[in-house]
Amino acid sequence: MSIKSGYFKKHLHVDLTRGNAERLDLSETFIKKYIGGRGFGAKLIWDNLRKHDFKIDPLGPDNLLVIAPGPLTGVYLPSSGKNSFVAISPATGLYGDSSMGGGFGVELRQAGIDAVSITGRAPELSVLLIENGETTILAMPGLKGKNCLEAEGLIKERLGTHAVHVATIGVGGENMVKFACVNTDWSRNAGRTGIGAIMGSKNLKAIVVRGDKDIPVYNVAGLVAENAIAFKYMREHKYFRMWQQEGLMNVIAYANEKGILPSYNFKDGVFAKHDQINGATMLSGYKIGDSACFSCPMCCGNICLVKNGKYAGTVVEGPEYESCAMLGSNLGIDNFAAVLSANRLCDELGIDTISTGGVIGAVIEGYERGILSLADLDGREITWGDEEAILGLIQKIARRQGIGNVLADGARGIIKRWPEMDKVILHVKGLEQSAYDSRSSLSMALAYATSDIGAHHTRAWTIAKEMEQGQNWSDDEKVDIVIYHQKVRPLFDMLGVCRLPWIELGLSERHYANFYKYVTGEEASLEELLERSNDIYNLTRLINVRLGTSRKDDSLPRKVWANPPLTGPTAGRIIKQDDFNRILSLYYQKRGWNEDGIPPASLERKFEDWAVPAWNEHR
Amino acid sequence: MEGYIMTKRLTVIPEQCSGCRICELVCAIKHFRVNNPKKAAIRVMITYPHPVMRMPIVCSQCRSPLCARVCPADALRLVNGVVQLIEENCVSCYKCLEACPFGAIYAHQDCDLPIKCDMCGGDPECVKACPKAALRLIPEAVLGESKRLNNVLSYAQMKEIEFYEKGEKKIIRYAEIGEES
Ligand code: SF4
Ligand code: SF4
Ligand code: SF4
Repeated sequence: MSIKSGYFKKHLHVDLTRGNAERLDLSETFIKKYIGGRGFGAKLIWDNLRKHDFKIDPLGPDNLLVIAPGPLTGVYLPSSGKNSFVAISPATGLYGDSSMGGGFGVELRQAGIDAVSITGRAPELSVLLIENGETTILAMPGLKGKNCLEAEGLIKERLGTHAVHVATIGVGGENMVKFACVNTDWSRNAGRTGIGAIMGSKNLKAIVVRGDKDIPVYNVAGLVAENAIAFKYMREHKYFRMWQQEGLMNVIAYANEKGILPSYNFKDGVFAKHDQINGATMLSGYKIGDSACFSCPMCCGNICLVKNGKYAGTVVEGPEYESCAMLGSNLGIDNFAAVLSANRLCDELGIDTISTGGVIGAVIEGYERGILSLADLDGREITWGDEEAILGLIQKIARRQGIGNVLADGARGIIKRWPEMDKVILHVKGLEQSAYDSRSSLSMALAYATSDIGAHHTRAWTIAKEMEQGQNWSDDEKVDIVIYHQKVRPLFDMLGVCRLPWIELGLSERHYANFYKYVTGEEASLEELLERSNDIYNLTRLINVRLGTSRKDDSLPRKVWANPPLTGPTAGRIIKQDDFNRILSLYYQKRGWNEDGIPPASLERKFEDWAVPAWNEHR
Repeated sequence: MEGYIMTKRLTVIPEQCSGCRICELVCAIKHFRVNNPKKAAIRVMITYPHPVMRMPIVCSQCRSPLCARVCPADALRLVNGVVQLIEENCVSCYKCLEACPFGAIYAHQDCDLPIKCDMCGGDPECVKACPKAALRLIPEAVLGESKRLNNVLSYAQMKEIEFYEKGEKKIIRYAEIGEES
């Protein structure tokens, strides 16, 4: 079956060194095989690596940054505002990606583009402006040092219009903090894997898009009918209202109850004052509005305002669970206003809340344990819940001042400077761990260990299921569910939609195959689409293997082996090396990779064709 | 719309709006059969953080429409309670876009005619689709009622007395008859 609609079949390639941009055609084979978003990204990154013989400095001009929405981005269906940023990550040195919500990807589609790739480095701090058919690179050195919110405002002012979408970096990105993010619509972020640092390394402050085109849909009537069923299902779900009201903040209470809430740098899985930083607290005293990504009825975004006290006047779009846990309980902060203030600061500076909470938690514990001296801390003591010191440290990280200069290099940089810190900082492959403790869930541990981008929860989020199942879950089942998640989840990122309606409200995956059919005109079953998405997981594994990854890297933070949570329902639990090795081997076996985690050489052939015609001899 | 007089107004409750733009999508699909939020007759304006606001902008179907007043071609007329665009008359000068005090008429490069809300024949798609009930169809007679009620409830001169009803403490508020002056 052929693709009849759903794409513009255009790829915008920008070379910042040369200052030129061109629109290249995307072939039908490419579109069909890689679908969009993370799929397009992975393939273009693979080709770029091959072109450079797999030798790429993540922060050098040759690292290709791919920005790609999917064929369903911007389409009338649940939560279609997603867009992927893909590159070799400066945090891990491996494949990296982060997806961003809001409306940026929709605007990109309306400008008639399915993917943007950016290489080189601009001579001056610049802004890439994409307007329908035109692309301009504008030098805007005046934006240097501006925070994300200011930069977005200044750009709109300079262009004289509100009707654009801006994806920008802050000071953190300019300073190439290894967990800098890209910010859009003031507070939606492509947070993980340090994509913001890559924009910084390219002297690219922002990408501004404006588009007016129709988003191609093959069968509008079919789409509307399918969507009516999906929307109805969501709106009638018993937790729908709760999602609108609390968004992901409802997870704080759940995680605490189960003993998987990061507290005091994961020393504990419960937090005594958890009810001071949970959804109910937010609703009763702080929330002033909802925020949704494009076409999303769930509106998981919360807008909060601190109305009195020393943080009065702080407005933030957030927090959501990860930010609140990592900047709250993980740092021993029980003052919700302070959490909001830290979250807002991260948004302004353009650094990832998860990694920021992770490295600061490690610093506090490192100092507590005597690994770090007062001199290492630039003479300012820091203890749990010390709001002022923590907010100061966030500033220092983004500005690379004092100890902040080491922290800005993330887990890897910290361990390089203080090897003993390996005991306290939680990371996999150099990416700081998300806010779900894995010590009581072998499947979640496996998910973190085998994730292509490092310890991030969105690759496979199996912990809730394992908590439900308790002890009577076999290794087989655990591995199967991890693989299933790793197979389904890329599909959401490839199609350009959010996974929350599926994972949280149980909206069937089947709908997405139908949406895909109505948008593209290609009759592909869910199973076929999942095969393509599984290919992407294999492809990113291949990328990592060619960059040096093997079994030794599919490991866990040292704390997970050695230090159990101290109190609560998970007290005393750790992951045993033997259990982990056994399940990892089983995982490789089921994946068809060898004992060392290496996929068969024949797999590479699958991805041999060049994505963009003449891409290899090109430039 | 034959024989039907629109006596309800499409009202916006911006505090409820999440900025999801589903209203824009359904409007464009209904009127143009395309997936393009920029062809909608309703648009959501978002400002952040000063002030924090999500404001859907849509035609109020004014009884004394400024858009119609500036139209040189008699292409906008109040018919049965809806300000209708008479397509054959319109010369696409876009004077109406600038005249509307809310900016509730729109233009798009693919369309010659201005894009103007027609209330979907009395049953607006956006109202049905809004997941936050931020758009409502309210009878004219009811408009402003919540403000009126709020005004009553917050009347400052009221006095209070406490009393017990079936052992439960209650408060009654009343306004004292003032001394004649
Ligand atoms: S377009 Fe504007 S001026 Fe005309 S009726 Fe509607 S709200 Fe009133
Ligand atoms: S664009 Fe059409 S409806 Fe608007 S003022 Fe001009 S002629 Fe009248
Ligand atoms: S559909 Fe409702 S909540 Fe969504 S943008 Fe429109 S008015 Fe706001």
